Amino acid sequence: MKCLGLFAGLAALSLSAVHAQPAHAQPAGDAVRPLVILAQPQAASPQEFQSAEMTAEAWKQLGLKVSVRPLPGQQFSQIVWYERNRWDMTTWQMVGRPERSDPDELTYNLFVSANIANGYNLVGLNSPEYDRLAQAQREELDLTKRQALIREVQEYINTQQPYGFMVHPKNLVAFNQTVWDASSMKVQAGIGVRNFWTWINLKPLTAQKDVIVNSVSPPTNLSPFNIPGAQGSWATELVWDRLMRIGPDGLPQPWAAESVTRPTPTTVDVVLRQNMKWHDGQPVTIDDAVFSLEAPGYGDKSPMYRPFVSNIAKVETTGPWSLRITLKRPDAAFLVSSLAKLNLAPKHIWAPIFEDLKNKPETAESIMEKVPVGSGPFKFVSVKLTEQIVLEANPDHWAKPRVNRWIMRIQPNIEATLGALKSGEINFLTDYTGDPELLTRLVKSTPDIKLSDSLDIGFRFLAYNERRPPFNDVAFRRALSALIDRDAIAEDAYGGAAVPANSWISPALAFWAEPGIDKKVPGLGNVEAARKMLKDAGYVVINGELHYPAGVKETTPVYQ
Amino acid sequence: MARHLLGRLGHLVLVLWVVTTLTFVMFRLMPGDPTLNFLSPSFSQETRAALLKGFGLDRSLGEQYLIYLRNLLHGELGQSFLQGKSVVALLAEALPNTIILTLVSLCAAYAFGIVAGAFLAFRRGGVVEAVAIPSALATRAAPEFWLGMLLLAGLAFQTGLFPTGGALSPGAEAGSFGAMLISRDYWWHLILPALTLTLYLQGLPLLLMRATMLEVLNDEFIVMARMKGLSRWSVVMRHAARNALLPVATAFALGLGASVGGNVVVETVFAWPGIGRVLVQAVQSADYPLAQGAFLLIAFVLVVMNTVADLAYAALDPRVSVGAQR
Repeated sequence: MKCLGLFAGLAALSLSAVHAQPAHAQPAGDAVRPLVILAQPQAASPQEFQSAEMTAEAWKQLGLKVSVRPLPGQQFSQIVWYERNRWDMTTWQMVGRPERSDPDELTYNLFVSANIANGYNLVGLNSPEYDRLAQAQREELDLTKRQALIREVQEYINTQQPYGFMVHPKNLVAFNQTVWDASSMKVQAGIGVRNFWTWINLKPLTAQKDVIVNSVSPPTNLSPFNIPGAQGSWATELVWDRLMRIGPDGLPQPWAAESVTRPTPTTVDVVLRQNMKWHDGQPVTIDDAVFSLEAPGYGDKSPMYRPFVSNIAKVETTGPWSLRITLKRPDAAFLVSSLAKLNLAPKHIWAPIFEDLKNKPETAESIMEKVPVGSGPFKFVSVKLTEQIVLEANPDHWAKPRVNRWIMRIQPNIEATLGALKSGEINFLTDYTGDPELLTRLVKSTPDIKLSDSLDIGFRFLAYNERRPPFNDVAFRRALSALIDRDAIAEDAYGGAAVPANSWISPALAFWAEPGIDKKVPGLGNVEAARKMLKDAGYVVINGELHYPAGVKETTPVYQ
Repeated sequence: MARHLLGRLGHLVLVLWVVTTLTFVMFRLMPGDPTLNFLSPSFSQETRAALLKGFGLDRSLGEQYLIYLRNLLHGELGQSFLQGKSVVALLAEALPNTIILTLVSLCAAYAFGIVAGAFLAFRRGGVVEAVAIPSALATRAAPEFWLGMLLLAGLAFQTGLFPTGGALSPGAEAGSFGAMLISRDYWWHLILPALTLTLYLQGLPLLLMRATMLEVLNDEFIVMARMKGLSRWSVVMRHAARNALLPVATAFALGLGASVGGNVVVETVFAWPGIGRVLVQAVQSADYPLAQGAFLLIAFVLVVMNTVADLAYAALDPRVSVGAQR
């Protein structure tokens, strides 16, 4: 034992000697300042906070001083989004939404240079090569060629590592299998069983014909021109029809449209389904469809939906049931990002509202009808945004649901929600933000409750701010990314309810995801390889502290 | 007396003005703005500018303050950013639920506290006291959310005796507030949150009543009553308790004021749709008009109840003289 101790002591001495005098071997610049990772507080997102802490610890092996700084929600968003020169690194997430089944939205927005100043390019990656690839995939209408481009762009980002990608989370959903026929549920790629198709297909097994779901937070104002957050969208997509919908396979399919064709790269022809009715009994006409495509572009009255119509040059009717959309530029994702996103709104109700708003500061987003009118498979019965939303099946709809009502309970206390699932007050747990283990335990002890987990389209990551050195150095970013232990994060921080990520495209979107990209991180899990990357780029460790390459001064202030 | 009343009312107006101004400043000093709730890849600087303009947040702070004060004088609290409804309507929907929860719990807590306090003072030094006082203190000191969760676990999750939250069963429609108030469903949902609040609130009246009773029981008029041969019950309840009630009555008025704003935790645990929950949600989403409205209402009730307690004290106890009359 003594021998071993002596040996270890000598080894430590020799190691510190190496660290103490490498300056002879390699001249060095200033020491890298202490780096700060911004994160949501542990209470708000325990998984995210723990991932950041685990990663900060791992990076200390490179001679870095890294700390995690939790910030309350509003302040966190304010700094990350609007004070872009201020922070070093931040945790962040992109959530899964049906319209993100097409990779265009994220591929285009996350890293194109046009979005550096105030768009979604939070990290400030400025790469003409990336811009070219992102634009090319957007204009490529041939599916196979576009798939190749999307995979190429993922490989490119793997070499650049603008984010330390962490995990793609799994959606945890549970339901009472004595109340609902599990075989009647539809699994949507990247969304799971909690989706539009399940709600219209769900088959009751007992006299309980009300599907009662939960939401932890209240949705915002429900209107066809407002995006009311993830939970609110579950209700709005049932009430307002869209010309197309994202199918269970993740691809767009005609819905309120009978057919959608693209005769040229910049024209889209739509034939509207006939005999549809608004919930107030009026017929759905081609004028309503034209209005719905044009209204978000009226002035600045619909800021959230406006980007989805910004590529539309004009919409004209070509027959009593058909219309033609002319685009300003070719857009491969138009069917997904616009036609499957824009709600069909009744012109007889909304045209006067838009007219009235012309001379007012308010936007159409802040308007909520007393009983909102759509044409979808469910209609509103009552809405109390902080208590519950009650919808009932629309018997006149061509896709009439098998359940009587769809009820969303708003319950901020997640433990009480689990109790409600057990006692039968809710029969479909749709929004679970608590500890995965609690839910698994409940499912094990309650045979009636069945758990359904599915991989999400979204992802969680650490953003490296390239506006602040040394994050502008690709070698530095690659060394950091190599040491993010994604398997441990998925297992320990997320309790197994996540898979490792190295791309913004989830493996749930099998057609678009680059297979095995999570294992292609340069130097993955290898401390020596990461150190070598830094050494090759000129970084030096002195007294256990990482220094910039020779001649580089540390001019960036420490995050305060 | 009239001068005293006027003085108190003047004081009330001043306090309310300070509270309204502080509320305005406080919410605008918070980092971030409501547009941060909408961040998505489609969100551009123009989108943000349009939303801010829609919310009236593109104007200067001074301008916003003047509009705010002018609207307040007209009883206009603006429109909720996120719910698109008028703040007054949203508060009017939530306030009755809070008042009912508060009144039921306070009455239960004070009824229990007064009787138990009087009893404990009377039975001083026994085993009952050794058990009761620590128990009362423990429930008083226990956090409300913890008490609430314990009750939920025992009476809702395991046994299913009571619902886990909300004011009505899923999908239930009461039609009007009056109809809701007389529905069994509503009261069934009220039991657990009210019980939690009652357990939390009973400590103060109990201890206060006991302490005052102990003082009163040593007074000469009690000795006199005993000497007259009155029954023990009559001595304790009719003579001693009546005189010991005064501070408890004041505490009740103050408790009523404080509870309207202090139910935040219980309302969140039980998803009870009251003012406390409105406030929490509004603050979380930087819904300034709604948060301001809820905050103002809570402050208003507190300040008014304080004044009421003050005036009531003078009215109830002639010994409390008003400075102006001297």
